[in-house]
Amino acid sequence: MARAGGGGGGGGITNAVNVGIAVQADWENREFISHISLNIRRLFDFLIQFESTTKSKLSSLNLKLDTLERRLQLLELQVSTATSNPSLFTSTTTTSA
Amino acid sequence: MAVPVEEAIAALSTFSLEDEQAEVQGAGVLVSSERGATNSPIEYGDVSAYRLSLSEDTKALNQLNALIQEGKEMASVLYTYRSCVKALPQLPESMKHSQADLYLETYQVLDMEMSRLREIHRWQASAASKLAADMQRFSRPERRINGPTITHLWSMLKLLDVLVQLDHLKNAKASIPNDFSWYKRTFTQVSVQWQDIDSMREELDDLQIFLSTRWAILLNLHVEMFRVNNVEDILQVLIVFAVESLELDFALLFPERHILLRVLPVLVVLATSSEKDSESLYKRVKINRLINIFKNDPVIPAFPDLHLSPAAILKELSIYFQRFSAQTPLACVIFKALTYRTYQRHYLIINHIGTIRAEHDDFTIRFASSLNQLLLLKSIDGADVDWCKEVKGNMYDMVVEGFQLLSRWTARIWEQCAWKFSRPCKEAIPSESNGSAESFFDYEKVLYSIFYGFFFIFIGMVEPLQSCLQVVRYNYTAEERKALVELVSYIKSVGSLMHRCDTLVVDALWATIHAEVQDFVQNTLATMLRTTFRKKKDQSRILSDMRTLSADWMANTSKPESDLQSHGGDESKGNFFYPRPVAPTATQVHCLQYLIYEVVSGGNHRKPGGLFGNSGSEIPVSDLKQLESFFYKLSFFLHILDYSATVATLTDLGFLWFREFYLESSRVIQFPIECSLPWMLVDHVLESKNAGLLESVLMPFDIYNDSAQQALAALRQRFLYDEIEAEVDHCFDLFVSKLSEIIFTFYKSWAASELLDPSFLFALDNGEKYFVQPMRFTALFKMTRVKLLGRTIDLRSLISERMNKVFRDNIEFLFDRFESQDLCAVVELEKLLEILKHAHGLLSKDLSIDSFSLILNEMQENLSLVSFSSRLATQIWSEMQSDFLPNFVLCNTTQRFVRSSRVPLVPVQKPSVPHAKANFYCGTQELNSAHQSFARLHSGFFGIPHMFSVVRLLGSRSLPWLIRALLDHISNKACDAFENLVYVHILTLNVTTLEPMTTGLQAALPKSIGLLPFDDGVTGCMRVVKENLNWGTKSELKAKVLRGIKEIGSVLYWMGLLDIVLREVDTMHFMQTAPWLGLFPGADGQILHTQDGGDSPVVNLFKSATAAIVSNPGCPNPTSFYTMSKQAEAADLLYKANMNAGSVLEYALAFTSAALDKYCSKWSAAPKTGFIDITTSKDFYRIYSGLQIGHLEDSVQVSSNNFEILGDSVAWGGCTIIYLLGQQMHFELFDFSYQVLNVAEVEAGLLSQTHKNPHVAQGWETLLEAMKKARRLNNHVFSMLKARCPLEDKIACAIKQSGAPLHRIKFENTVSAFETLPQKGA
Repeated sequence: MARAGGGGGGGGITNAVNVGIAVQADWENREFISHISLNIRRLFDFLIQFESTTKSKLSSLNLKLDTLERRLQLLELQVSTATSNPSLFTSTTTTSA
Repeated sequence: MAVPVEEAIAALSTFSLEDEQAEVQGAGVLVSSERGATNSPIEYGDVSAYRLSLSEDTKALNQLNALIQEGKEMASVLYTYRSCVKALPQLPESMKHSQADLYLETYQVLDMEMSRLREIHRWQASAASKLAADMQRFSRPERRINGPTITHLWSMLKLLDVLVQLDHLKNAKASIPNDFSWYKRTFTQVSVQWQDIDSMREELDDLQIFLSTRWAILLNLHVEMFRVNNVEDILQVLIVFAVESLELDFALLFPERHILLRVLPVLVVLATSSEKDSESLYKRVKINRLINIFKNDPVIPAFPDLHLSPAAILKELSIYFQRFSAQTPLACVIFKALTYRTYQRHYLIINHIGTIRAEHDDFTIRFASSLNQLLLLKSIDGADVDWCKEVKGNMYDMVVEGFQLLSRWTARIWEQCAWKFSRPCKEAIPSESNGSAESFFDYEKVLYSIFYGFFFIFIGMVEPLQSCLQVVRYNYTAEERKALVELVSYIKSVGSLMHRCDTLVVDALWATIHAEVQDFVQNTLATMLRTTFRKKKDQSRILSDMRTLSADWMANTSKPESDLQSHGGDESKGNFFYPRPVAPTATQVHCLQYLIYEVVSGGNHRKPGGLFGNSGSEIPVSDLKQLESFFYKLSFFLHILDYSATVATLTDLGFLWFREFYLESSRVIQFPIECSLPWMLVDHVLESKNAGLLESVLMPFDIYNDSAQQALAALRQRFLYDEIEAEVDHCFDLFVSKLSEIIFTFYKSWAASELLDPSFLFALDNGEKYFVQPMRFTALFKMTRVKLLGRTIDLRSLISERMNKVFRDNIEFLFDRFESQDLCAVVELEKLLEILKHAHGLLSKDLSIDSFSLILNEMQENLSLVSFSSRLATQIWSEMQSDFLPNFVLCNTTQRFVRSSRVPLVPVQKPSVPHAKANFYCGTQELNSAHQSFARLHSGFFGIPHMFSVVRLLGSRSLPWLIRALLDHISNKACDAFENLVYVHILTLNVTTLEPMTTGLQAALPKSIGLLPFDDGVTGCMRVVKENLNWGTKSELKAKVLRGIKEIGSVLYWMGLLDIVLREVDTMHFMQTAPWLGLFPGADGQILHTQDGGDSPVVNLFKSATAAIVSNPGCPNPTSFYTMSKQAEAADLLYKANMNAGSVLEYALAFTSAALDKYCSKWSAAPKTGFIDITTSKDFYRIYSGLQIGHLEDSVQVSSNNFEILGDSVAWGGCTIIYLLGQQMHFELFDFSYQVLNVAEVEAGLLSQTHKNPHVAQGWETLLEAMKKARRLNNHVFSMLKARCPLEDKIACAIKQSGAPLHRIKFENTVSAFETLPQKGA
């Protein structure tokens, strides 16, 4: 690697044509790479968003299920009060006896 | 090949990902925050590819960067250092012998910590020497290598900054020398047995000197630098670079700006302390520029709770750097200039919040609109190139603006923090307490600090907490907190807005940057090459190097029609190219910057005038301007290329939590959360009840996310994370409970204020205090994913859970309250329940919670299918039994029961009224008092409104149960009364109780008592009555019987009221349903059907609707419509069955009558002779007659207190029994008081005829009046009974064997028509 002279000149590209060709090829390659990587990131973004919307939909469902579950518990309780006193339901004449 | 990828990704957008959650929290977690541009991930390894001979520079650069990284770690070790000495145990007396062991253990523990300090000591020495060497390399006049590049300059500055910070921390942390001295003491103890400890001791001494010398690191650095005495020029370059960057302030984000500000004073000191001409510095940089910079930022943040001030640094360092203070006028000038006064305004966010708000609103709108433009562009194929470029350029500008705004805002917070830390609040309690609410809060604060004060006095450390309280807790006024919350939410919301559209905008940004670079390289440089630099060989070579290393000549190949124009191109048009969405690499930018710098400076750093100062340069101004602007743009490109990392840095507010420095100086383990800034902000939002702030309440929680991230990633301390986590857990619980309470209170008071009469409120002068400030919780109710420390919390379900609970608690409380009051409170209970129900209705529009009826039934204990009582019904019943019936008296005229003013005959014991917060009543205090004054109107009596409340509260489920219970009560009372009558001679009512008693009273009646004689007028009559009716010892029994009759009367009257109310309710019901059922009232009261045999309107309606819909071939699901029409038929049947409800009063009378049948033989014995038995009759009317006259006499004599005990219900009870026993005629004929009245009439007639002195009747007027009144009342009762329970051809309800009532059945006139009535216990 060439060493640059001191003072005003600064560096200098020693083999400008080759470097130019390489740079050009580099641009092309990087276009491909950034295209792929960008799309992978978009895929990721999608997955993240999908996860979050799914989560909120699931939580809505959960909320509804909770409500239903409580209602069901209530109904079960009511039924159990009825089934534990079967005599009340077998014959109505017993009440007036 | 690329197309399928793009298509596949595009196809993803067809998924519906709508989310109803509002964006009211910070971004939470950032997936990618790797830096690829600002820090080269490959350490500029590709520099060599460009053949610029920068490998030496790159090597040095990478070395510096590695040092910076290490230094940051050292700094975080120092910052998070916590004293160990505090935790060391003391040996009790009994274990003194093992003192040596303790020393050894202590030594081992401390040695670990001290080894870290030793490491820092060693590291700083090597870092200083490396930095000095690096500087020297570039400052030789005969510079042998290319460089330093701009990146390199930055690295030097950053490393210097790290060293300064480290020094500053070392000075500030008091616990380190403390621990060290303890360590040294144990070392001397422990090392007695060791050999060869000299080296260790030496090392210890070194460390001690290092730790105890202020600014030891800087002093060391100074020594290293000036070992070879020519670093001044590089220092000057650095100063010039820093000053110019600061003055331009374009490409700097706040972290870099702070670095420059921190380093600059140190640089100045270092540069002027050399032996050589320090004057040369002031030739290059005018002293006023420095002073201006120092003056504008008198306080600079260094660590979250540590700040630096240039003046203080300069002042302090001047002691160590004698030459600096001796040589320069700078020091004294600066000290003079740097008196703070007006800076407070500058630092406080509160003074800028208006501007910030406007900036935020403006920015978000413009950002969104350019985002929309970009989306539009993407949806159009083959859009116009110019337009395309413009849209992308717009987006780029917006992103730049966004970064600058974020940087400015976050810097404001940093700076305000630093300012606040530099100015602790003088007194612990802010003196200005505006308003009583405020002072109450302050008082709480005082209490709080006193409590904690005591706590820490106990441990022996008070000062500490004070300090944190002073700098944080009391240092932010309410306004400042509000402004801070607002600013935090602006930062977070703009941050998440930008973060969300990362992948959307990034290719547009790349394309724009690409276009900018290519435009500069291909067009601007080409022009320059042709004009300015044609003659200058060196410079034109640099320019063409720039073109070589970054130009993308083939960018236009994909569009052949634009034809390959040669790079020399058309001058006017410039080179035409299509930007590709590819950004330059970090190395390209690095090289470009270096080359521009080279062009401008001509490689000569000693040039006076600064970077683009242009004195002495031959480059024309216009070109210089272009070069300059591109130069600064380049450095900003890097931030934009690191899009998400930059957003993350700029929105990172984690520093607001950290307080390691104060913790250490306060010597407590951790501060209470009230001293924690994030929680203070949350708390402020909640306390202020400011509707505008409310939606930002989750924003401060994002600070915790940031701090946790910082603790783990930057500081790398597990214990900090644990502390944050613990605090967050605690805070979030507190937050949810406070929030739920606010929500509940708000909805409650909203409901309560809606239920106040609006026209009344309108007329009221101070009516507005009953209006509730509207608040919106909808955004918070939709939060199903609150991101907190990596966890996802479903806030909505937490809130609804709590709401379900609080509604239940509230109902429970209302019942408790009712149970501790009397029956009159039923109106209040109903009102409060109604408010609660309304609040529930309002809330359930926004949040799904359990239905109110379900909650109410649950709390009423009314769930069982086999029991019809409920908590409320039971309470009403027991209340009637124990308090209402014995202690309330009826007033027939007002139709009210009032509590007897006499001492209660039956003492009632009740639980004390429970207390609750205002939101368990009506929400706010004002609304409470408004509703209470309404409720007070009904608290003194029981009448129609109460009956309405009872009916509404109990409903059709429990009301029959209550009626039945009351009727059973009647029959019991009557029974009791009769038994008593067996022994004596008088009466009581409520059938079972009455029976025994009246039989007792029967015995008390004289064997025979005939018609009263007319002979002696009223006086004579009364004498006869008194002679014959001598209750004697039975007076107590008499009173008991009277009370029994009164209770029967009360119950019957109560039933009468109930009947009135039920009829009103039924009528209303009928009016509502009749049109649907096709019913209308006929002329004489019966109900007629509109169409005979046909369906009712409601059924018809649904049938025809169903037919119409089903006939339509497009109907997707006809079965549901059939179901609907079937249900209409069911509804029709159900409503029709309920149509003709009977009368409760009639039922009650029939029931009583049936109950009386049992005693018919005793109470109304048919005389054996067949004639009416006048003299010896022991029938009920006789007994009642005696009771009545006695009672009337008493009431006249003893200042009418009997009435207050018994009221009008005695007449109701007595007359009803008489009537039902069929003795009305007998009573009217033979009643004593009626007879007396007749006698009095005759006497009065005689008197008026004979004109004698009417002295005979004198003394009896009041009694006669009372008798007349009693007669009137009795007649009233009898006429009512005749109407409602005609003894001829009874129409009443019957009860079938099955228990179902049959309404309006005609009966023969027998009193035993209800033999089949199911009796209790039968």
